[in-house]
Amino acid sequence: MTDQEHLERAYRRLLAWYPRKFRHENEQEILAVLIAGAPHGQRRPGLAEAADLIRSGLWMRLRPSAPRSVRAAVKLMYAGAAVSTVNLVILLALTGDITVSQLLNTPFITVSIAWSLAPLALWLWMARENGRGRNWARIVSTVLFGAATLDLTEVFGPPGIRLSLVPVIAGSPTVPVLYWLVGLAAVWLLWRPGSSAFFRQPGYTQAQYQAHQAQMTELARIRARVPRQA
Amino acid sequence: MILTALANGSQHGYGIIADVRDISGGQVRLRAGTLYTALDRLRADELIGVDRQEVVDGRLRRYYRLTPAGTRQLADEAARLQAHAAVALKRLDLAGGMAT
Repeated sequence: MTDQEHLERAYRRLLAWYPRKFRHENEQEILAVLIAGAPHGQRRPGLAEAADLIRSGLWMRLRPSAPRSVRAAVKLMYAGAAVSTVNLVILLALTGDITVSQLLNTPFITVSIAWSLAPLALWLWMARENGRGRNWARIVSTVLFGAATLDLTEVFGPPGIRLSLVPVIAGSPTVPVLYWLVGLAAVWLLWRPGSSAFFRQPGYTQAQYQAHQAQMTELARIRARVPRQA
Repeated sequence: MILTALANGSQHGYGIIADVRDISGGQVRLRAGTLYTALDRLRADELIGVDRQEVVDGRLRRYYRLTPAGTRQLADEAARLQAHAAVALKRLDLAGGMAT
């Protein structure tokens, strides 16, 4: 085994500290940089170099990996959850008010409270799952945003029998409008190209897989052509 | 500093390390582990992108370049640093007509 092969093997072992997906994409390149930076005849990685690889590898495994756009979308969803909470508090305060309670019948209030707990739960759930990079969560979020849009058209539409009566108690269409705006921003962020790369993470698309295979074949072909140094 | 290294055009990993060393007058020696962690984050944030890739010595080599967002961020950062430096120089009374 040549010095370089020896060194390369040692570096490969150190690169195992990195997440598999990252290694898959970058290992060849990092190895090339490491070997280009090593003095001629070096057989083992330097201590500082090794420490840096281990530290960086661990950091990549532990840090929140979502790109900035997804982190922003998740924050917005928590803001949506906060709006839900405020709405719920207002509703409970009104329920406590006897005159209002007398005006409205009790089952209606119960339904309303349950109805405003649901969005709170949905916001929190979507924030968590989108932050984890679940693509289905991104789709569900988009569908929910569609539902919020329909809800909004109802708020401004002609009065009739409506299920979303909560904002009427609060006295204004503020809550649905806020929901809609927060939802719009969050959904837009979730479909940004940077976010899409993050949501593609766990699996390979067919096209990516084929591109990778083609690259590997090309590499093998070139390797076979280059005479091995003794 | 990585963004600065890319301001002149696309570079590959080793080129960035060499360039950062030059820019810092030999002060900053970027290590491969640190570099690729940073590149990964910059790519995720869309500040840099892959310009092209080549196969050199049987290994894949990517060339990175600044995206418009990356260029903007670098310009903002540089302007901020310049403003700080100008204030510092003025307060130290060393500006001597340099401060604008």
